Amino acid sequence: MTVNFNNRDPVYLQIVRYFKEQIVNGVLEPGEEIPSRRELANRMKVNPNTAQRAYKEMEEQGLIYTEKNHPSKITTDQQVLGNVRNELLVEAVDMFVTSVRSINVPVEELLDLVKEKYKANVDKEA
Amino acid sequence: MRNYLKLVNFEFNRVAKLFAVLLSFTFIVQVIGVIVQSKSYLNMADKKIYEEFMPKAQFLESFGHMSFFQIIRSVWFLGPIAICIAGVGFYIFLIWYRDWLGKNTFIYRLLMLPTTRLNIFYAKITTILIMTFGLVAFQLILLPVEILFMKTMVPEEFRSDMGVGELLTNMPELSIIIPGSFVELILYYGTGLLVVSVIFTAILMERSFRWKGIFAGLVYIAIASVIFILPLLLQEFVLNGYFYPVELLVLEIITGLIILAASIWMSRFLLTKKITV
Amino acid sequence: MIEVKAVEKKYGRKKILKGVSFTAKKGEITCLIGINGVGKTTILNAIMALTPINKGQILIDGKTLDKHTFEKITFIPDAITMLPHMTIAEAMEFMDDFYHCWNQERATELLGFFRLNQSDRISSLSKGNTAKVNLLLGLALDVDYVLMDEPFSGIDMFSREDIANVFTSHLIENRGVIITTHEVGDIEHLIDKVVLLDDGMVSKEFSAEEAREIEGKSVIDVMREVYQR
Repeated sequence: MTVNFNNRDPVYLQIVRYFKEQIVNGVLEPGEEIPSRRELANRMKVNPNTAQRAYKEMEEQGLIYTEKNHPSKITTDQQVLGNVRNELLVEAVDMFVTSVRSINVPVEELLDLVKEKYKANVDKEA
Repeated sequence: MRNYLKLVNFEFNRVAKLFAVLLSFTFIVQVIGVIVQSKSYLNMADKKIYEEFMPKAQFLESFGHMSFFQIIRSVWFLGPIAICIAGVGFYIFLIWYRDWLGKNTFIYRLLMLPTTRLNIFYAKITTILIMTFGLVAFQLILLPVEILFMKTMVPEEFRSDMGVGELLTNMPELSIIIPGSFVELILYYGTGLLVVSVIFTAILMERSFRWKGIFAGLVYIAIASVIFILPLLLQEFVLNGYFYPVELLVLEIITGLIILAASIWMSRFLLTKKITV
Repeated sequence: MIEVKAVEKKYGRKKILKGVSFTAKKGEITCLIGINGVGKTTILNAIMALTPINKGQILIDGKTLDKHTFEKITFIPDAITMLPHMTIAEAMEFMDDFYHCWNQERATELLGFFRLNQSDRISSLSKGNTAKVNLLLGLALDVDYVLMDEPFSGIDMFSREDIANVFTSHLIENRGVIITTHEVGDIEHLIDKVVLLDDGMVSKEFSAEEAREIEGKSVIDVMREVYQR
């Protein structure tokens, strides 16, 4: 659980984002217990107050839930989980589009290239 | 109180090595002195009586008996005492400065102890007193031992024996460190305590204000000294012996107590409000 | 809360602090940043009454410091606070002797945390281990506030990591911490609040997360703005 934080985004949001990625990747499963705030601070090398804030944010977004006297768990709410997937996807595509925009390429050509590259990447990993 | 005692214990342990060195130095040099002095007397007696055939009675008449007095008068005996006095005098300063100087900054710890800072002052002054009394007590124990040493070396007919008490009353030099009466003891050591408290205050002034503090400290020492001898000066030059000696003594004791109280008050103020690490 | 209010301090004729004010809360890590010689250490010394101030006031939980305050606040200076000939065990014993708030369990835990050997003499320790012993002696006190002067300066990389780990651990939790540094780089994520000192004054006091969230600036970005104005 090591994260390279950047210095310009709030650390607590970077932690939230890290959790979202882990959920979407399936590293964290719905209903899985997550570390305590203190443990998280320790492992991620962040201020315990920041870890606390990240958990609060995740609770507000419904990503995690806490029953009394139990460790917090990843939500099992399929709708929330779906939203997370969507959110990350849209965000990534947005970023891609912005950077590709400057090259001014026709969208069909771009899509073909994307398909080709995506396939090559999957093959390489397999 | 408990913290004060703990600090005294701690401060004394810090000086224990120096203290042990002073004790052993005194012991060794004084015993060597006894041997050297006795030997030289005996050598002389040998020479006069067996080589120059001087009758024993005549020898004793012209050279006298060997007494411990001769040993006490020698540098072998007084030297170590002077060194011990110098050592304690030196440590009066070192006991403070060692906490600030060099890589060691123990003063941080001392000043951050959850106890009144005046306890540091009390503990340090007590340590100086313990050292002083310790050295004096050791000398008192050492004297009869040394006398015994001389007795084993010099045959009885060449000796004129003196007890410790007799020696002390005949040695004004020694009566200052080993007073003859209780009043003298209070007087000498009271004055000593007073001097140390005034010096401590001056040191704390220097530690608080640095260069300006040296000046302030010297002024404080000067003022304290003047006030202390003021009754004597008045008696001598203004009042033409108005007071009886006993009255003068009481007056001096009161003056001393006032100066002591002022030094403690000033040190407390400096330690809590002005000291700087 | 530690409140530093309009504190002024002169060294000779030179005014080193010209009215410094800031607060440090319990449960937060407050970082005093400024170039060397700006008076960071002086501020910590002043809080602990280790040096007098010329003007202003310093309150700890609303009260001025007295002997009882030392059971509530501790200072870990960038210097050895024990006698060089003492062993770590003896230094711990000394602390235990004088402080009610000494927590032996925590001290033992810290020994392990820092991988220190109790029987080592203070004088034989490396710079990094000396700093760790200092930290141990301070953090094993059950105090509400901990002041640390340059805990990372002149220390090898691995010791830095060990010390940084303290800040993310329960050893610090719920305490108010003030640390000074002239190099904020690798502790940016560890601190809650930043107090920037410049020319004897507080030029900016801000929350590190807020600067990132509201202005999108890192602590160093803010410093650059303040110092290169």
